[in-house]
Amino acid sequence: MPKKYCLALLLSVSAGISAAKADQNAPGDAEVAALTDQKMFEFGSYGTLGATHASLSSADYALDAPMPYGSGRSGYWAPSDNSLIAAHVNATFTPDLTAIFQVISEYNSNGNYRPEVEWANAKYALTPNFYIKAGRFALPTFIDSDNHDVGYSFVWVHTPVELYQQMPITSVDGINAAYHFSLGEAENSVKLIAGQNTTETSLGIINSKNMRGIFDNLEYGQATFHMGYQQRISSTQSDLARLNTGWVEASDLSAGISYDPGSWFFKSEWLQDRTLYKTNAMYASAGYRMHQFTPYLTHSQSSAAAAYENSLPYLNMAQKSNSVGVRWDFMKNFDFKLQYDHIKLGDNSNGYLVNVPDNVILSGKTFHVISAVVDFVF
Amino acid sequence: MLFYRVLKWVMPLSLLFSVQAAIADVVVIVSAKSPVVNLSADQVSKIFLGKSTSFPNHDPAYPIDQPQGSAVRDEFYAKVVHKDASQLAAYWAKIIFTGEGRPPKLVAGDKAVVKVIADNPDAIGYIDSSALNHSVRAVLLP
Repeated sequence: MPKKYCLALLLSVSAGISAAKADQNAPGDAEVAALTDQKMFEFGSYGTLGATHASLSSADYALDAPMPYGSGRSGYWAPSDNSLIAAHVNATFTPDLTAIFQVISEYNSNGNYRPEVEWANAKYALTPNFYIKAGRFALPTFIDSDNHDVGYSFVWVHTPVELYQQMPITSVDGINAAYHFSLGEAENSVKLIAGQNTTETSLGIINSKNMRGIFDNLEYGQATFHMGYQQRISSTQSDLARLNTGWVEASDLSAGISYDPGSWFFKSEWLQDRTLYKTNAMYASAGYRMHQFTPYLTHSQSSAAAAYENSLPYLNMAQKSNSVGVRWDFMKNFDFKLQYDHIKLGDNSNGYLVNVPDNVILSGKTFHVISAVVDFVF
Repeated sequence: MLFYRVLKWVMPLSLLFSVQAAIADVVVIVSAKSPVVNLSADQVSKIFLGKSTSFPNHDPAYPIDQPQGSAVRDEFYAKVVHKDASQLAAYWAKIIFTGEGRPPKLVAGDKAVVKVIADNPDAIGYIDSSALNHSVRAVLLP
């Protein structure tokens, strides 16, 4: 009941937003506001509605780490998978002081759609090229970390699972400072972050403190280079895996490249995570744009250290996948996507599968997943 | 004789076509009061995508957009930024929903754009070349 109520509330909010947007047209030549004038509050909304089928009977395939059930063992199709709706407000108090607040209703680790605060932060621009943010903001591990929930912003049905799920922590409660400068023809941004986080996953809870990171984004022509290094002290508690790691040091090194001249794109990213052991993950993806259609191919994989392979199948998420899909921009502010994944689990690994029966290890199993989604933004 | 008869018909037709070609040409403009005389497509693209907040001479730059669905806007983004309407919407979805920035201000119609830009030395916009007048300067003919 509360879940239906929350969804209805968010839907009506976004309907209101789209209606309001229709009225908000550009000013005519009679009244032209000053160039720096902005409305105090701007509202927005985005979301994804989708269904997924996985050829599994002994476990569930879930796109996002915090989901307890997906398609497979629990059902032939999972209508809930990667469906979400978000409401966003952007506040401009002065040209230099702004704030954002965003709430997402998404299938979560408690098996419901209870809305959660995705972002809530205030930003102060000391100069046009230097700002400080405080509150809850994105942890920019990857190129699409900030927008990993905004399906409309990328070509795939979802960000590549093997890489993006290797780093389940996506936000930080703390402060960040960003500095932007030109390097000849190139534009460069450096971001420093500090803070803490609590993330619920299907496995359990990850608490992190003393999070520190430095991230660099360089854009040259149609190419984007992204690099990051971060460290933290984390503890993972899981009743399911009968695991309590205590506070351990963790660090991640990430790098990515994207080349997008307009009619086609290539994107590849890599991550090395050092917690108790070392794991690597990467993907490479390319696509071609033909009017409203963008077909694409992706290879994605994660590997685990030998120690995991022998002892801890819950923590060994090694798997490989090859995907083919298409994005269709069928009308303004909407897209439809269809994707086929062929997935192979690593040795002694249950990959990112959830709802696996006790003591079952699906080591080396191959299965496929078909997903269809509609994304929208207002 | 036949030659002239054909020419009599072809001349106005070709004129008509050349006029239509001129109507469909987008130009990037700044105020006549601005010191900026020309810009590359890459420099203009960065300003309209919010990747750069200033002109190459370090003066602040305020981009002025035309409304979604207008022909001049589609032509500008296709020729200068190399993005169609949905690629552009996807780009801004990433920026807006993380609070990293916001799209340029909207002003509807070439005449209104010329008026805003003429009065603001820091503004930059695009219009159909047929709307050019002495109050603004074309800095890029893509």
